[in-house]
Amino acid sequence: MANGGADKAAPPAGSSGIGFESVTVAYRGNAVLRDLTLTVEPGEILAIIGPSGSGKTTALRAVAGFVRPTQGRIRIGQRDVTDLPPHARDLGMVVQNYALFPHMRIEENVAFGLRARRAPEETVRERVKECLRMVGMGDFMGRYPRELSGGQQQRIAIARALAIRPIVLLLDEPLSALDAQIRRNMLEELGQLHRALPELTVLYVTHDQTEALTLADRIAIMRDGRLVAHGPSRALYRNPPNRFTAEFLGRANLLPVRMESLEGGGRHARVRFGDSPLLAEAQAQLRPGASCLLCIRPHDLTLEPRGMNGNVIHARVVSTLWQGDQLSIAVDAEGTTLRLASHPLAEPPRVGDSLHLHFGPEAATLIAEDDR
Amino acid sequence: MLVWSRTSRWAAWGTAGLLLGLVYALPLGIIALASLAGQWNGMLPSHMTLRHYADALTGDSGDQLKVSLLTGLMASLLALLCGSWAALALRAMGPLPRRFLSVVFFLPSAVPSVSVGLGLLVAFSQPPVLLNGTIAIVVLAHFILISAFTYGNVSAGLARLSPDYEDIAASLGARPAYLLRRVTLPLVAPYLIAAFSLSFAMSMGELGATVMVYPPGWVTLPVGIFALSDRGEVFAGAALTMMLVAVTLGVLLGLSRIPTKVTTR
Amino acid sequence: MTASSTSGKSSAAGSFDLRAFWIAAPLLVLAGCFFYPLSLIVGQAFKNDAGAFSLATMAAVFGSTMFHEAILHTIGIALGASAGCLALGFVLAFVVSFVPFPGAGLLVRLIDTVIALPTFLVALAFTFLYGSAGILNMSLMAAFKLPLPPVDFLYSAWGVILAEVTVYTPFVMRPLLAAFSLIETAQIEVAASLGAGFWRILRQIILPAALPALLAGGSLCLLLTVNEFGIVLFIGAKGVITLPLMIYDKAIQEFDYGTACVIALVNILISVGLYFLYRFALGRVGGNRAGLV
Repeated sequence: MANGGADKAAPPAGSSGIGFESVTVAYRGNAVLRDLTLTVEPGEILAIIGPSGSGKTTALRAVAGFVRPTQGRIRIGQRDVTDLPPHARDLGMVVQNYALFPHMRIEENVAFGLRARRAPEETVRERVKECLRMVGMGDFMGRYPRELSGGQQQRIAIARALAIRPIVLLLDEPLSALDAQIRRNMLEELGQLHRALPELTVLYVTHDQTEALTLADRIAIMRDGRLVAHGPSRALYRNPPNRFTAEFLGRANLLPVRMESLEGGGRHARVRFGDSPLLAEAQAQLRPGASCLLCIRPHDLTLEPRGMNGNVIHARVVSTLWQGDQLSIAVDAEGTTLRLASHPLAEPPRVGDSLHLHFGPEAATLIAEDDR
Repeated sequence: MLVWSRTSRWAAWGTAGLLLGLVYALPLGIIALASLAGQWNGMLPSHMTLRHYADALTGDSGDQLKVSLLTGLMASLLALLCGSWAALALRAMGPLPRRFLSVVFFLPSAVPSVSVGLGLLVAFSQPPVLLNGTIAIVVLAHFILISAFTYGNVSAGLARLSPDYEDIAASLGARPAYLLRRVTLPLVAPYLIAAFSLSFAMSMGELGATVMVYPPGWVTLPVGIFALSDRGEVFAGAALTMMLVAVTLGVLLGLSRIPTKVTTR
Repeated sequence: MTASSTSGKSSAAGSFDLRAFWIAAPLLVLAGCFFYPLSLIVGQAFKNDAGAFSLATMAAVFGSTMFHEAILHTIGIALGASAGCLALGFVLAFVVSFVPFPGAGLLVRLIDTVIALPTFLVALAFTFLYGSAGILNMSLMAAFKLPLPPVDFLYSAWGVILAEVTVYTPFVMRPLLAAFSLIETAQIEVAASLGAGFWRILRQIILPAALPALLAGGSLCLLLTVNEFGIVLFIGAKGVITLPLMIYDKAIQEFDYGTACVIALVNILISVGLYFLYRFALGRVGGNRAGLV
């Protein structure tokens, strides 16, 4: 894939990708990023999510070069870029507030990077047209940013970042400033863009786990400057390695259980929740006798039994909340509150009713108790 | 909306109008009247004339206008250059040195203009640098007095600039010089223009330092006006004053119309 | 060399931004054109006629009655003018902000323009208005058949104060207008609906909001009036000598640079002190928000 606008030869395969190697960033003794080691594979989208103050934006800005690591190295492709200034790193960046240059027309905005690298004018013109078409904004070349809506401006910002054919694209909460409806559309478009540019590595920072789950191949979860979990999106969702991940990525019901034995050739674990025996997916590091948490997602709980090996929990209804496309029921089971998401019922259960909750063992995953 | 009743509202407007008129409209109107007066013995001038304006535009007074304009332009450009340079450089510093140096750059605005003039007189009437009796010393005096205001204006503008623009420009491949030229400066252009306007206006009206250092061949309008009124030729002085006001306001108006293509959020 | 951040922020501890050295050029210019002359003034103040270190000139100046009068006049006029600016500025800003009328915006722009005009303009106008041959005196003499001009306040400290109030009120109005614009109308409407009368609202909602701006504007006025030269020169009243005028007389009329430098030193110290008072007051207001540079 050709780089920038200057005459650079195409880099060897596998030369994109991002690497954090024990990166620490500290201001006056205050560690914002602690010993972060993480790899983003070439061509994939990795989403870093976490609450505010988790260090995710700092991590992104470290890749961009706006933050200097106190320790550790940063790699883009095969190059160690830790000591390089931002303009030498060959990456594209999109931020929450679009930051389109208000004194330039759209065409000049998108062409900025190429002109800064002194690309020949014909290359510039072609590339600008191509990138604007890619984001569906081909007709807006002569306008000024203030004439465009939020979603349109963000598309231009993406085109501007892609115009220089970067190896890496950094997105810092790109959809946070947009209305919910536009956000949904943009999410789809970003997915399409990623498929259209298979060699582009994308680092996507957000606090919204829906965006991460929709878009990302892999997810990294950060908290207080540390990496708490990382892995492929689905695996991380289905088998969260710790409590924070379970609760941050999707909604989770966490039941305190005690592990009793292994069954089914080591595939399933028999656990006890209060008086009820339950069957869950086995976790390698959990031994019989250990106390742990059983994680079950609200939409995996049903009021009707299913299959043979199903688990049953007796509970009492605490509240019901109709939310249009679903009915959210909160129940109390032996002192623990659980929530289940059901499709709207003709006769919803009333407060105080007794219920049976059913779920299969494949939907139940065990998590070691961490110190919260 | 604080004052509800009709009568009290009119009373408030009336008071304010009276005060404003007394304090602002009246002085300017009087000078305008005086500049057109032929003879003024009684309550109002007995006959009007344009003679003073004709005199004002020729001879000595015409020269003074040129001197003021040139001094204003030179001093303002230098002040803009120096102030902007300082404001940009200070941004790259840590918070503590920045606050200290910021005070340093604002100090010339605190010191009285006559003292600045005295200082320049004393300093540059002796070696190593002799500027006594030159145009340069007048321009220098104006430059010092207005540099703090250009610095302040440009600093304020830079502070309101979202760092995203420069960050993204850098990430796209713009080196620092290109970034400054194509992104930073255009985005603070309104503040640069405002700074220049303010500087120019202040230079046009400057008297305290000028009167200490000016050489006989380089007389500015304010010095000329004072000389006239000191001699008793008050009407001619009034005409010159009106010219000063007109030119200053004219330049300010012209500058405010420069399109900058930067919208305010 | 690494530029760790384009806007100069978020450099990790320990890294040093070499671009900070760009400050050298303007700093040198400032040092050469401003601090060097200033240091010479200070030096000259401590020398005698022969050029050796001596406190004789200072002693002579501090002992002279004219100097005492000049200080009293300077400070008295400054205080009087600042008080007037605060009062007038508050009333005008109040009416503009809270009793809205069409053209209020234009008025504010006009006031900003007035700041750009030279200060002696007002002094000149006042001679035509209130001078011994001015309109006011002439009308009164004609109306009441008086032999001598009755109104004489122009050629006194009061004339200077009036002129300075005219010129420097905008510097109080600007931060006040900004502060008033931050008071939500909702606050006042709620207060009114709860039964608060005009004076109560003024006292408990408007005044507290205005106080920081008044402080900032007032200290700025103090600074500017202490330094004012043009107005005092143009009014030319015999008994009214301020420090800047005295410096001018001593240096230009009498070529007594030693004395002039001593007076200048005192003037500078007062001004710089007032400047730091102003900065302190600004810090309480919030700098940019007050509409001041």
